[in-house]
Amino acid sequence: MIWLYLPLGLPVFFALICLIPFNGTRRTLALLFVGIAISVSSIAVLIGKYEGAVLAISGNSWLFLDGFSVFHLAVMSGVYLLSSLFALSYFRNHDDDLRRFAFLWNLSFAAMALVILSNNVVLMWIGIEATTVITAFMIYTNRTGVALEAMWKYLIICSVGVAFAFIGTILFISAGSGLGEPSSGMLLWTWLRVNSVGFKPVLVKAAFIFLLIGYGTKAGIAPMHTWLPDAHSQAPAPVSALFSGFLLNTALYCIYRFLPLTERALGGTGWAAGILSGFGLFSLILAGGFILFQRDLKRMLAYSSIEHIGIMCVGMGLGGAGVFASLFHALNHGLAKPLAFFSAGRFGQIYGTYDMDRIHNTGEVSKLLTAGLFGSLLALSGAAPFAMFLSELGIVRRAVEGGKWAVLVLLLLGATIAFVGIIGRSLSFIFKGSDPVPSKVKASFPEVVVTLLPLAILLILGVFMPPFLKDFIGRAAAIVTGSMPGGAP
Amino acid sequence: MIIFLLVNMFVLGMSRLRTLIRLTAFQSMLPGLYLLLESRGHITPFFVAFAAVTMIIKGIVFPILLFKAIERAKVKTELEPYVGYGLSLLFGLAAAGLSIWISGLLYSPANTGGRLNIIVAMMTIFTGLFILMSRKKAITQVLGYIILENGIYLLGMAMVGGMPLLLEAGILLDVFVGVFIMGIAVFHINRQFDHIDVNELNRLKG
Repeated sequence: MIWLYLPLGLPVFFALICLIPFNGTRRTLALLFVGIAISVSSIAVLIGKYEGAVLAISGNSWLFLDGFSVFHLAVMSGVYLLSSLFALSYFRNHDDDLRRFAFLWNLSFAAMALVILSNNVVLMWIGIEATTVITAFMIYTNRTGVALEAMWKYLIICSVGVAFAFIGTILFISAGSGLGEPSSGMLLWTWLRVNSVGFKPVLVKAAFIFLLIGYGTKAGIAPMHTWLPDAHSQAPAPVSALFSGFLLNTALYCIYRFLPLTERALGGTGWAAGILSGFGLFSLILAGGFILFQRDLKRMLAYSSIEHIGIMCVGMGLGGAGVFASLFHALNHGLAKPLAFFSAGRFGQIYGTYDMDRIHNTGEVSKLLTAGLFGSLLALSGAAPFAMFLSELGIVRRAVEGGKWAVLVLLLLGATIAFVGIIGRSLSFIFKGSDPVPSKVKASFPEVVVTLLPLAILLILGVFMPPFLKDFIGRAAAIVTGSMPGGAP
Repeated sequence: MIIFLLVNMFVLGMSRLRTLIRLTAFQSMLPGLYLLLESRGHITPFFVAFAAVTMIIKGIVFPILLFKAIERAKVKTELEPYVGYGLSLLFGLAAAGLSIWISGLLYSPANTGGRLNIIVAMMTIFTGLFILMSRKKAITQVLGYIILENGIYLLGMAMVGGMPLLLEAGILLDVFVGVFIMGIAVFHINRQFDHIDVNELNRLKG
């Protein structure tokens, strides 16, 4: 299917266009947005063409599309559209040349689309590697010493992580080396899914550990998360939004792809799923602890990302209905976290600091941004009317059904700590404070859209789940659970 | 393979930056050479070209880039490690032991490379990681990364016989892009701070 190549080719094309010297921040930003918008519409076309088919595959079967990748592409498109729109207003008064930034921004779209569309596990890995390299320079957009430090940590830690993922890939493939002639067909996920049953368990186990540590580094799973708070806090807010909203999920996506393969090879013992939940719980608790003691707003949001990635891992590891809840949670996080970074980023610009002790009386500066910040923080803490409450509830329910009481207790403990930490902080933005307040800021049209749209969707999804969305996520979840022996561990 | 092992030990005990770069370059040439020697039977022009490109990039281009970086940064030649050289060598021995144990787990007659290759590959991976963690300079971290990638390349050769070309291409791409980007970063670090000591990049905490 030729359409599969569009989401890869178009962004690269627009990335190159962004490099042409047009002079002027406005034009560069407009190009950036147009590029992303067109790339996203190509994904919409692709999904439209795919509708109904079980599996769409490219000529040499290196690229493919199934329910699971369609779901991830949709979330990715949403995050990119929102973040690009936000970039328009965030960089409006930026003096530096933004051409390189626009180039990298569009290029990163292609890299992430490559990860999601790859049927070939090595190609998928190359995509992850590409995202690391491309996004590293986006962190260094503000040319300061600390930004450079954050970028260096990100590069070194993630490069080593990605190298580990490669070792894992090699081991996984070598586990099947007895099954027929070595050929590039063995690298295909669709081939592995059918044949992994006969793989050697020892090698598969070793491979999964390497894959989990490797891709987990990129996904921000604790204890490999150390680059994440630095990178998130130093990158410009739109980049942080992109990182949290979807970059972490692309790495998780790779783990999810290998999870059912591993379970099949091991005969459905739940070994791999158990390890994934374990790491998830650890991330959740650790991040909760760090949230309590943060002063920097963006660092707090970064730790909250680690917390939510942890929740997603737990849901995925629990299997069954937990997979559905985990994917739903990824969607909600993809809406709430960019929103939080948008409003936090704007307040950071207005107040000139991210120190939470110095940001207060936000209601007097901008009602819209305050609604965005407070709403998103409420959503992120898992408060009731928002959709994230439902997805977390789904995971909790699955833990109860499965009788995993230890998981349940730790999950609730971590979520509670994070809840207390975030709510305690967010109240102080609105009230208290005697220092002078910056003058009132009028919101621009893109800001109104990026604030109210995700907030509205989160509220609606919290009350009512449209049947088409349920089908959509259900089909994605079925790819994971359906590939596991016995449905669930 | 034995040479590979010796180079690993040398790298751990080496205190001079320039020699370290040369050693790493030398080591990077070995897998390509080994590949050519081992597969006399079914050599294709494409295969030779690929091995040649790998060797040129890792053995010649990288060292030149790194030497330039040192010159520009005016780095002292000592490495100022966190862990002393003697202790590093001890670590090398421990890593060799560990590698032998791991190779026992991973090895099966179906792997074409033989057990020695797995041992050396694992040990190289450990050495790379250790260099990456225990030395202060940004450049030594890059070198550690290259050694790590050499190890992965060997592991691929040992574990997946007749490695699909894409795998090799992936490794090459990884190293090339990685080192290229890191080189640029080192340059920026140098310009920003007037040094490339990574242990002074410590302002972000918590």
